[in-house]
Amino acid sequence: MSEANKGDGQSGTRREPGGNLGPEDRAAFERRIAGLDKRLGDVRSRDAAEARAGRDRRTSSRGMAYGLRMASELVAAVLVGGLIGYVLDQWLGTTPWLFLPLVILGFAAGVRNVLRGYKKVQAEVAASTGGNIGRSVPDGDDV
Amino acid sequence: MPDPIHQFDLHRIFPINIFGHDVSFTNSSMYMLIAALAVVGFLVYAMQTRALVPSRLQSLAEMAYEFVAGMIRDSMGDEGMKFFPLIFTLFMFIFAANMIGLIPGTFTVTSHIIVTAALALLVFVTVIVAGFWKNGFRFLKLFVPDGVPVYVLPLVSAIEVISFFSRPISHSLRLFANMLAGHITLKVFAGFIVMLLGAAGTVKLLAPLPLIAVVGITALEFLVAFLQAYVFTMLTCMYLNDALHPGH
Repeated sequence: MSEANKGDGQSGTRREPGGNLGPEDRAAFERRIAGLDKRLGDVRSRDAAEARAGRDRRTSSRGMAYGLRMASELVAAVLVGGLIGYVLDQWLGTTPWLFLPLVILGFAAGVRNVLRGYKKVQAEVAASTGGNIGRSVPDGDDV
Repeated sequence: MPDPIHQFDLHRIFPINIFGHDVSFTNSSMYMLIAALAVVGFLVYAMQTRALVPSRLQSLAEMAYEFVAGMIRDSMGDEGMKFFPLIFTLFMFIFAANMIGLIPGTFTVTSHIIVTAALALLVFVTVIVAGFWKNGFRFLKLFVPDGVPVYVLPLVSAIEVISFFSRPISHSLRLFANMLAGHITLKVFAGFIVMLLGAAGTVKLLAPLPLIAVVGITALEFLVAFLQAYVFTMLTCMYLNDALHPGH
């Protein structure tokens, strides 16, 4: 009796008549608390997994958008370089001495486009993954 | 096997001829009109209540606004909101056209390069006009990057000029090629089903395979329809940002 009193610091706050819990009630209580902890943990980890999946989906759709963009950017620059060279050649009658260097310049422009796009995406990814390159986002504390 | 290109044919619905130019109202024009009316109808209908707590439709319309406005603010800052009407219209039109094109039996407006090229040129000309309007000749700084030694400057400038002129090409080619390729793939795989069913003997049993593929590709096409509208809009923002802040 005295031992139960000593151990149960919260017995005063309990409304139950008689106040103290018997040893088997206490064990059941502890089990329930432990069960609740486990369920809470499950829910939390599921939430975290869902949030992570959502973030992955967003990142991967941005990645797809990026991939679709880069291929055509490279090709378009070569096409434009070639086209400018071809038209100038037809006009000046210098075939193929402007076409060839301009195709190469077009390729250089394409690579430059891709590199520029890569740098931009890299910065975005660094920002969204919490690298400290990102710009700060205003929140409630900034008011 | 049905011709996979047939779906892109143009037909005159109302033949119109102005000064010897054929400007007939075609099926393409009709689906452009349908896409535009669908967007306007959706937005007007969804925003009719203007409730503080939005209904489902209203929150869809608000999401569309927030999505495009967020994209503009991210790439251009608040200054870029001047271009919001143009960019929002482009996004909604391309998205609606792509989505309507996925309904069986319809015509995909964006699978014709003349349409996407017109949209890309609209953006290209806007960039040039807005760039000179805002910055005068400082806009040409776009072709002269900072910190380049004088002796390689002609080369770098030439590369920058080619890069600048490649923009409308890649801008229009990407949307057009993705829509065209996706629709041809769908048609070809759907044609396989019919071919296999018509084949003799146990080969018939293979028919479900292309059917499964078609279901998967259709899902992918929905993603592509959205992604291409998104990419087109995002690049529009990026290019217009160059017009506002050349030399960055």
